[in-house]
Amino acid sequence: MIFVTGPLYSGKRAWAQKILGCSEQELPARAVWDVQELAADAADLPALADKLARYEVVIATEVGAGVVPADPAERAAREAAGRLACLLAARADRVVRVFCGLPLPLKGELPQ
Amino acid sequence: MSARFTLVAGGAASGKSEFAERLILESGPLPRQYIATMEIFDQECRARVARHRAMRATKGFSTLECPVNLPGAPVPSGGAVLLECMTNLTANELFSPNGAGSPQAAEDSILAGVDRIMAGCARLVIVTGEVFSGGNRYAGNTDLYLRLLARVNRALAARADEVCEVVCGLPAWYKRENEVFA
Repeated sequence: MIFVTGPLYSGKRAWAQKILGCSEQELPARAVWDVQELAADAADLPALADKLARYEVVIATEVGAGVVPADPAERAAREAAGRLACLLAARADRVVRVFCGLPLPLKGELPQ
Repeated sequence: MSARFTLVAGGAASGKSEFAERLILESGPLPRQYIATMEIFDQECRARVARHRAMRATKGFSTLECPVNLPGAPVPSGGAVLLECMTNLTANELFSPNGAGSPQAAEDSILAGVDRIMAGCARLVIVTGEVFSGGNRYAGNTDLYLRLLARVNRALAARADEVCEVVCGLPAWYKRENEVFA
């Protein structure tokens, strides 16, 4: 599994399509994205990470670099999103951060 | 001729301005042009401009104010150009009464302006903001702005010879001249 992270709208999905050599229509069968939004409601984050790790590519948007949200639910959601990303990175063969459409390998090498 | 182009991204107060200036200074004894994009609204703006002007004062830059309509900026050819900051120019094109208005018109104007400058100068450094890692729970049409700025940033990164994100004054390189990334 390749875990792809990066800021909002940085081109993560486009890069995943390029690496998988697939169309936008074929992407949902092989990749899952916006997984940061699944974290808040998950009773068991490691179990969620295990389930997501069955995809070839898992994509999460970084959401933890702003000011701590005043709202407790938003605070908890942001915390869970970060923890889930760490669990996914631990399960991944490769971790890539996509920034302005450009990939930076954080774990393993970039796929050819 | 097409300029060697470096895109410098970074968060607030990351040292990206100073780093971008250094890239221009290291490009040799070319005429130096600074394209300033901020609209001056209040005392906070004026203080920020004064700080940046003082930083550049001894470094031989001439300053061109260009809050909107980059294609109309009278940039002399053959020099080293520092454009700062894409976050302002994008916001002005989208929200200012003098701006392009729609996201598509804003994007077209900005990229046409950059292409024109790239074709005419010898060295180009553009500073942009990294504002995309703190979620998107913002009020009003901030998300429209974020999407536009992200599109502009990706288009610039695709054109650039080098792309870095500056963190506490130091560059993390996403693209470097003479290096091939997938």
